[in-house]
Amino acid sequence: MSEEMKPYNKNILIAVDESENARRAVSYVAQLLGGAEGFKVTVLHVIPRPEEDFFPNEGEKEQWLRTYREKIEGILEEYMDILIRGGFKAGSVSTKSELRYCPSMAECILAERDKSHYDTIVVGRQGLSRKERFLFGSISNKIVNHANNCAVWVVA
Amino acid sequence: MKFTQKDIRELAARWLPSDRVPHHIRIHTDTSDFFRIEYDDAVILRGHPYLIRHNAKEGRFGVDEEVKFWVKRAVDLGDGSYKILKLVFYEKFKVTVGGIEFQCFRSPRKEARILELVGDHKNFMHGLSTEDEKLNIVRVIEMIKGKRMDSLIAETEVDHETYFHNLFPRIFQKYIECVEAIRFLHDHGEKHGDIRRDHILVDADTGSYRWIDFDFNYRHRENIYGYDIFGLGNILAFLVGKGDVLLHDLKKAGASCLENFQGEDMNIIFNNRVMNLRKMYPYIPKALNDVLMHFSVGSKWFYEDTSQLLNDLAAVIPSAKKSR
Repeated sequence: MSEEMKPYNKNILIAVDESENARRAVSYVAQLLGGAEGFKVTVLHVIPRPEEDFFPNEGEKEQWLRTYREKIEGILEEYMDILIRGGFKAGSVSTKSELRYCPSMAECILAERDKSHYDTIVVGRQGLSRKERFLFGSISNKIVNHANNCAVWVVA
Repeated sequence: MKFTQKDIRELAARWLPSDRVPHHIRIHTDTSDFFRIEYDDAVILRGHPYLIRHNAKEGRFGVDEEVKFWVKRAVDLGDGSYKILKLVFYEKFKVTVGGIEFQCFRSPRKEARILELVGDHKNFMHGLSTEDEKLNIVRVIEMIKGKRMDSLIAETEVDHETYFHNLFPRIFQKYIECVEAIRFLHDHGEKHGDIRRDHILVDADTGSYRWIDFDFNYRHRENIYGYDIFGLGNILAFLVGKGDVLLHDLKKAGASCLENFQGEDMNIIFNNRVMNLRKMYPYIPKALNDVLMHFSVGSKWFYEDTSQLLNDLAAVIPSAKKSR
């Protein structure tokens, strides 16, 4: 089958953090596709595992992780509610949060996309200044530049 | 082996003049409280004794020297050589660069990993990591005989054009080696973490530029190496300009070139530093100036990795030859 004929699936990966733009990305998908048949949405948050010595001991690290997980699970539940209120069936929406060391968050998101076969990735634009993009890079830019064989929606 | 004061005195007597051999010696096998470890004390690390001399100091850019109590100069009582002992100091703090805040921390493990990774690479400081009895990771660094690279540049008493044509080509080669060394770290998944011009020493024996201090780390966002690359750009501008070229200094000197500069000619983070140095020194080859401009406000794109930077630096050499 030629590349042009690739059948795209209706699996959508929304990569989120706690920012307003991520919430906007979720709302966008809810409004655009809520009620439409066949779509499956996963809301993904990758917890960036801090490097060695960021915490001087395991106890502090565990405490940080517990607090972080509680916070992000609350946010993911809210995002799921937004999608269900928008018309998605509960069985078509799931959430996922994973602790990973991410030299590049964009590559972590793309790896998840490859693993679970989503043909659409949705992210909120972080709205970084040029200085910030220069110093730290932009996740959405990198996803747009590195993604293959899928659609990327950047919600600004 | 358990050392007594007498053992340490006997070992010290092999390497120190008799009047410098301490009479009373406190012996530490736990370095957790580094403030307690003072001049003439001994530290035993995995059975190896060191005699402490001074705390290290770090001065930077006209700021008074600050004592680093966790960094000690010491005599290795095994062979009499001077070493630097870096004891464990966990520190987490926020840094603001150009109005952007990010989190930094000291990582003894990172420095230990890098020391092992670089081995005897000519462009890095050398050393090993060991442990005290409480498993604190102590880094034992070999002393580098030589001066700070930026001090040597600042001491050069020739005008810019003479410097640029006669001295800079060799300095530029050394700089490229430094960037290649950073690429080596990045290729192995490590950041330097604190790339500054005062973190390069010029080895007096070999002439090599050598990176020092790897224990600094920052919480990266998307581009793990972005802050390192920013540091490399700052150093290049310093070397090409024979010092930082600051708007403030140009104004003070009433420089006529001042009116040529626009916002886009400035460093993207430090908006008072000139990156478009060719406007001031027209003999700077365009290819080299173009590299600098990728660190400027006016840049359309920024370097994402050291390979991109090295490719552009490699293109400078033939164009520099042509322009002479």
